[in-house]
Amino acid sequence: MTATMNSLNSHQYWESLRTKGFCLPQCQACKEFHFYLRPACPACGGTEIEPVVVSGRGQLYSFSVVYRAPSAAFEKDVPYVVAIVATDEGPHLMTRLVGVKPDDVAIGMRVSVKDWRTSSLPAEPPSIGQAPPLFERAVP
Amino acid sequence: MSLQTGSRRQPLDAVIVGIGESTVGRVPHLDALGLQRMAAVNACADAGLTFADIDGLLTTPIRVENWAMPCGVVSEGLGIQARYLATLDVAGASGVAMAHHAAMAVASGQCETVLCVAGQNMLSFQSCGDAVQKMADAGWAHPDFEAPHGPLVPTLYALAAQRHMHEYGTTPEQLAQVAVTMRENASLNPFAHKKDLISLADVMQSRMITSPLRMLDCALVSDGAVAFIVTTPERARDLRQAPVKLLGHGYGHSHTYIGDYKNVTTTGAVRSGQEAFAMAGLTPKDIDVAQLYDCFTITVLIELEDLGFCAKGEGGHFVQSQGIGLKSPLPVTTHGGLLSAGHPGLAGGMFHLTEGVRQLRGQAQARQVPKAEVVLVHGNGGIIGLHSTLILGKG
Repeated sequence: MTATMNSLNSHQYWESLRTKGFCLPQCQACKEFHFYLRPACPACGGTEIEPVVVSGRGQLYSFSVVYRAPSAAFEKDVPYVVAIVATDEGPHLMTRLVGVKPDDVAIGMRVSVKDWRTSSLPAEPPSIGQAPPLFERAVP
Repeated sequence: MSLQTGSRRQPLDAVIVGIGESTVGRVPHLDALGLQRMAAVNACADAGLTFADIDGLLTTPIRVENWAMPCGVVSEGLGIQARYLATLDVAGASGVAMAHHAAMAVASGQCETVLCVAGQNMLSFQSCGDAVQKMADAGWAHPDFEAPHGPLVPTLYALAAQRHMHEYGTTPEQLAQVAVTMRENASLNPFAHKKDLISLADVMQSRMITSPLRMLDCALVSDGAVAFIVTTPERARDLRQAPVKLLGHGYGHSHTYIGDYKNVTTTGAVRSGQEAFAMAGLTPKDIDVAQLYDCFTITVLIELEDLGFCAKGEGGHFVQSQGIGLKSPLPVTTHGGLLSAGHPGLAGGMFHLTEGVRQLRGQAQARQVPKAEVVLVHGNGGIIGLHSTLILGKG
């Protein structure tokens, strides 16, 4: 069996996020979305995978308020909310929930991706490979 | 989940004949090799063997010293002439998996007597801050998609704990009960790192690290090493200790990273347990002592459920109502576990095994569970996704 090398790579994914908005990797053979990036579709093994713009909406599946930063880089953020979001398209992903007080976070709440292009924070577009998308309370 | 491996999976014809630990806790005067040597010498003395009798070696990677080839470093450091050797890594499940791999080597005639040994100075060869940062950067969270959000390793387990509380009404008190019991057990264990008793209030008022997990819901960071020896039933006949048999074993892998796993309250322990019980021809009711992996309090609740000791979601209630202490119907992790006896990294789960052997031999002193005939030892690795279960009985 010859391995094909046409699967989506991390660089392309970050670039799509930066230029098109929130995407999830989608297998072009079976049309299933998945997350995180893999060399082949976890549902069918297909290797033709494209970043496809999706709703950016979902439900809070779980969360933890972090009070003790893992390193100096995160100390300014404490306390912050690390969360798992169940996207409306299916995949679950880890993110940071921003703009919500820790006491107001609840499993099941509707959340949406924070679009750097329309919001004040962060002011700069995410640098490739360093800033996966953040989520915030969904606008009703 | 169906068990399709069927009748070809048989218990391995091999026995555990020696166990040993180094000093555990803060041991700054020894390096990893020194700690491992102490544990290995103790295991050999326990069995009535010398290093000259050892012809197989298994160890694990270590984190705080630069060992590119652990099985070579250890084999040479101890002066072992191995005809079979390997460095094994099934994350936290390595301790249990080592016994299984050693038994495969022995039962298939590749060698006669395997020394399994691992350990390091997790505590005194690095600062607490360094340990926390190194763990957070080590890849337990996906390096591209998870780690940039700033989870601690405890955060990754907290995500499972928070969801468990949401789905099943599990409470902080129920989590805390696990920590309290582990400390009670450790207080009776001469080599335990932490022996001072703690109360439910102590746990629930300890510093919040990453909700809902507090400081005392989290494993220790310790210096220490552990060793055990596996050989043939024939070789065991003229050794010092009564042998301990491997009755059944199994593995289960539900997920690697926690973020994309869609059912974080049910794990690969379901499969590893089913496989082990099927091979042994036993059920959870037959287990006298359950040496469950306890990197965090929540881990124990989920393992109790997934291994079939109670129904899904009832782990918290189980711990609170019948208890998991030495006098309960199912004593759990009687040495005090990673939460109180010690956690030097991948070797941490090996303590669960050596204690299980002590229970079967009737050598657990103040921690001895009466009539311990069958012991389950469970290892959990990664973010509650990699599992290995072993059922042990008297040889």
